[in-house]
Amino acid sequence: MTALLDIRDLRLGFRTLAGQIDVLHGIDLAIRAGEQVALVGESGSGKSVTARIILGLLQETRSARVSGRVGFDGRDVMMMSPKERAALRGIEMSMIFQDPTSSLNPTFTIERQFAEVMRRPDRKLTRAACRERAARMLDEVSIPDTGRVLDAYPFQLSGGMNQRVMIAMALANNPKLLLADEPGTALDVSVQAQTLDLMRDLVTRHGTSVLFISHNMGVVREFADRIYVIYRGRIVEEGPTPAVFADPGHAYTRALLKAVPRITGRGLPDVPEVSDDFFDPMVRHGGTS
Amino acid sequence: MTLLRVSDLSRTFQTANGPVHAVRNVSFDVQRGECLAVVGESGSGKTTLANMILGILTSSSGDIAFKGTPLPAKRTPAQRRAIQFVQQNPLSSLNPKRSVGASVRLGLDTYGIGDRADRTRRVEAALESVGLPGDMRRRAPAALSGGQRQRVGIARALVCEPELLVLDEPTSALDVLVQARVLRLLNDLRRDRGLTYIFITHDLAVVRNVADRVAVFRAGELVEIGSTEAIFSSPDHAYTRRLIGAMPVVDDTELDLRNRLAEGT
Ligand SMILES: Nc1ncnc2c1ncn2[C@@H]1O[C@H](COP(=O)(O)OP(=O)(O)OP(=O)(O)O)[C@@H](O)[C@H]1O
Ligand SMILES: Nc1ncnc2c1ncn2[C@@H]1O[C@H](COP(=O)(O)OP(=O)(O)OP(=O)(O)O)[C@@H](O)[C@H]1O
Ligand SMILES: [Mg+2]
Ligand SMILES: [Mg+2]
Repeated sequence: MTALLDIRDLRLGFRTLAGQIDVLHGIDLAIRAGEQVALVGESGSGKSVTARIILGLLQETRSARVSGRVGFDGRDVMMMSPKERAALRGIEMSMIFQDPTSSLNPTFTIERQFAEVMRRPDRKLTRAACRERAARMLDEVSIPDTGRVLDAYPFQLSGGMNQRVMIAMALANNPKLLLADEPGTALDVSVQAQTLDLMRDLVTRHGTSVLFISHNMGVVREFADRIYVIYRGRIVEEGPTPAVFADPGHAYTRALLKAVPRITGRGLPDVPEVSDDFFDPMVRHGGTS
Repeated sequence: MTLLRVSDLSRTFQTANGPVHAVRNVSFDVQRGECLAVVGESGSGKTTLANMILGILTSSSGDIAFKGTPLPAKRTPAQRRAIQFVQQNPLSSLNPKRSVGASVRLGLDTYGIGDRADRTRRVEAALESVGLPGDMRRRAPAALSGGQRQRVGIARALVCEPELLVLDEPTSALDVLVQARVLRLLNDLRRDRGLTYIFITHDLAVVRNVADRVAVFRAGELVEIGSTEAIFSSPDHAYTRRLIGAMPVVDDTELDLRNRLAEGT
């Protein structure tokens, strides 16, 4: 079975005043149709930039140098023109950004932002139809009081409400691939569980593939079929979720799992920040890709 | 000693669709040197409460007293310095046009902390204490990852040498290893400098491991407050049990405990 997303040898560097900063050192990552894949790892290791490259956003940043192959649905995003990439975004693939208030436009109401998204594939959608569909989407992410929220500006909503709005918007056009960058961080645990269940329902029903970026290992365990672990711009481990949790093969993955705080309360874990074996070669669990 | 006393505090927002009661008649104390966790569902009023404690937002009614003195709507520089904030949203809380270093340095200049020559060193030390290289001060916020920005927010508050630190989801964008490091740093500062924290978070496992007491909010009201031990051995309120029951966990011991607490057995 061919992959919907097939990334090969992806490299990224930034040109800065202080010289070149290399961020991604040759990443391979694939997602099959309907598969939910998690990308976990160190803060600053390159998760968000990977998502931005898949969306074709970083290719348009002047200071960024990107190379490699980003296969999506049989085409290479790297070879597309900016216009072709723009035509994919929000329709074939969409993203839930890490920072909700910065990706929602502060000067427009939520209703207006929904309308903009929903009119991209269908310019003729009426205002009433947009509002009705937006209300239904908000309802599906368990936002109460959908009328108030549609008329609100982002600053009038709590952090978590904005995040649910973004999830609803990202799914509004039924994309083939959803890139979810820490979609639950501003949500309380009950809403988070609910929202992720809902997201999982929606994506299973529509066969949407998901690249799920998260620091919450408990959530990853519940949500993902397969996991990639990234450390300093290199994938260090890959495998089915149960295998990685039961038998983490790479030193970095082991340290990461050990550092997860537990409600059983054993205090703050005492684990090394960096260790030589974090740079060991990648570990692959069998039976995949 | 009571460092902060919140009495009968309320805040209502007027909107086109009628009033929103974001915080209603909330009262609690914070003792010097303690870490009080504030938890509760999304939209329950946690950030609104924080904004009032910080003086960013005025209250509709009620009082906030700091070291026995009621805080006025317009704070003195000393009062502003004493209570610092780490905001929920790391990107929008940093000025995009300012370098990271300039943002961190702002508090030092405003409150006249250290002499001029010494301020760059203080900025670098603060960045390093949260696990960022000191020379990252030259970068723009847009050239940082989410977790790096979040740590800049913590560094920016710490350089002001506050007495009370209000942290709104301070580690939500960090991997658990870096999170452990930042939490340990916060613990050390509490021990060494007698710092006090109001720690707003959705992560109950973090609460379990760092807080002395927990305040549970729902729809603007304080529904339960008690020691961390008590909340995690016999949560009183059904809503608290529901929050605990929804927690994602990573192993079976945790799963058992979670399910027992959630069922109230
Ligand atoms: N400026 C405002 N105008 C109108 N309503 C507001 C405003 N700020 C907050 N609210 C409303 O007040 C309520 C409480 O919001 P607040 O941001 O305090 O929640 P929170 O507990 O911090 O939630 P989260 O966990 O999602 O961050 C929400 O219903 C929100 O929509
Ligand atoms: N415009 C830029 N110029 C220079 N360096 C950059 C730029 N944008 C990002 N970086 C660096 O690239 C690295 C990867 O960033 P990215 O945002 O992908 O991290 P991340 O894995 O998503 O981390 P987090 O979990 O903290 O969000 C970081 O070290 C960051 O500082
Ligand atoms: Mg990121
Ligand atoms: Mg909030």
